[in-house]
Amino acid sequence: MKKFFLLGIISSTIFSSCKKEVLKQNVYDNVYYEVTPVTLYTSNAEKNKQKSSLQYISILFSDLFNQSIPGSDLNNIGEAILSIGDKGLANQMILERFLTLPGISIPTQTQMNADLNSFITSAYQRFYLRNPTEYEKIYLKNLIQNDTNITPEIVYAAFALSNEYMFY
Amino acid sequence: MKRRSFIKKASIATAGTFFAPYILPSGRLFAAAGDRVVNHVVLVLFAGGVRHQESVEQAYLTYQGSNAGNIMQNMFTGAAPSSNLLYNPWNPIQGSSLASQGTFFKELQYAQGPTGHYNGHTAAITGNYTDVGTNLAINPDFPTVFEYYRRHNDPAKSAINTWWMSEGLGPYPALNYSKHGMYGPMYGANYFRPYSTFGNIGLDYLNNGLTLQPDDVGRLNTMKNFFDSNFDKSASDLPGIINNSTDRETIHAFMKDVLNRTQNGTVEFPLPNGVSTGEMTGDLINIQYTWEVLKNFHPELTVINTFNLDTCHSDFTGYLKNMHKADYGVGWLWNKIQSDPVLQNDTIMICMPDHGRNDLPNNVYDANGLRAFDHTSDDNSRRVFALIVGPSAKVNQNLVLGSAGNPVGQTIDIVPTIAHILGFYDQIASGMLPGQVLTQAFI
Repeated sequence: MKKFFLLGIISSTIFSSCKKEVLKQNVYDNVYYEVTPVTLYTSNAEKNKQKSSLQYISILFSDLFNQSIPGSDLNNIGEAILSIGDKGLANQMILERFLTLPGISIPTQTQMNADLNSFITSAYQRFYLRNPTEYEKIYLKNLIQNDTNITPEIVYAAFALSNEYMFY
Repeated sequence: MKRRSFIKKASIATAGTFFAPYILPSGRLFAAAGDRVVNHVVLVLFAGGVRHQESVEQAYLTYQGSNAGNIMQNMFTGAAPSSNLLYNPWNPIQGSSLASQGTFFKELQYAQGPTGHYNGHTAAITGNYTDVGTNLAINPDFPTVFEYYRRHNDPAKSAINTWWMSEGLGPYPALNYSKHGMYGPMYGANYFRPYSTFGNIGLDYLNNGLTLQPDDVGRLNTMKNFFDSNFDKSASDLPGIINNSTDRETIHAFMKDVLNRTQNGTVEFPLPNGVSTGEMTGDLINIQYTWEVLKNFHPELTVINTFNLDTCHSDFTGYLKNMHKADYGVGWLWNKIQSDPVLQNDTIMICMPDHGRNDLPNNVYDANGLRAFDHTSDDNSRRVFALIVGPSAKVNQNLVLGSAGNPVGQTIDIVPTIAHILGFYDQIASGMLPGQVLTQAFI
């Protein structure tokens, strides 16, 4: 009877430990992409509104730095955009600047190449708020595997300058 | 044999269709190449509201109970004030005044609409007066001179050939294209506000970005094209003009170069030798970077403004100082144009205010006890001038037209005049431009 009771205590400890692990995993998933949890699109067809310049910059900053852009920076960047007639060019130059700032959350090339599937899925979720299709995943994987000069910065820049990223 | 004959005739008919004359709305066959006067135009809107008294009439402090004198010796002929100098006099950079190097419309009218800055700019840039409120950051109703140029010039020109550079923001960035249904951003001009683009904000947020080598740009574009091919919408609705990819890369490289040189302090200043850069104004900054654009792109049509004179609402002394400095800047710019192998002797520069200022002062006195002036659509605020300066073989030199009470020309005449200079005036549909070409200026 005493042995049976001891076995019960050990079993419940083991099972409750396992439950804790699962709980941790769920929490990690919930906060993985944004400061606040976001819902993923099921397809890009759901995106039909174009971001304004300030929305674009604000979201881009959040996506690259995992934090909201400070208000003063947003105002100054808004002025920079207003001062240039070609807004696409303005966006491009601001993105290039962001990509050199300290604090940017971007994998190293080694990390990217170590797990391309995970990198690609993560990038689609980060920038497009959706999962890649199988075709997209395979194409991009082949592209990166066949060209060792492709860096995470180039991939991120291509996402951020693409048409889909301009929409929500 | 019949079959061969049929094919021959069909080929001739098809070729005829391709090469048939294109009948323009004006009834002309083919788009006329257009006889150009010169290949480059720079319009300087000497804006901010300039009183005729202190500019053309060289009254200096006469209306403040003191002496007269010319504080714009680069633009007008006349002796500088000999006493009571409230500004630091800069020796003129022009050997002889711009008025003597072209045609001087001494009395031009801003005939209709409120004498507000946005209205004045819009009339000058669209060739149509407007009653639209002064502080609306909206594109004008009528096409701008940039759109006329890009739509009607033959051959068509991309946006890198035409620039609008403004001293300030507010509604002015919206003047590079109109919301007219037949024109719009696809015919608009490139635009900078240099104080922001190349000033502290530009240095903080546009400079020192990631530099991609040409091969990397190719990789990025390959990837971007793939992403775009999987999305059925285009970001073509971004407000503003869209350069073609070649021009965008060229402008991108230009911006990086100019930002670098700004950071290193190697961009040339429009200041007399020995004068500190602390004397720079917003107007001079705009002129400084306009020259960077002119010497790099040699655009065919450039419009810039000055604006700091508007301090006259409360500071008459500051108004005189800024007028003197802006005059120097215009003279400096003309010298630079004449030093450039492409632009020299092939450029016409036009200078004109947006509007004038009131005859009577408001109730404000500045630190020197001088009365300030507003611009509230009285007759005096409708008096302006225009200088049309250019090669002696093309532009009448030392010719003065108009006098007080006998105006010659209106501010809405500048757009048709530019269209005439660049050879596309006849292509613009009748009724679009109510003004006239200032033909008196040309040989």
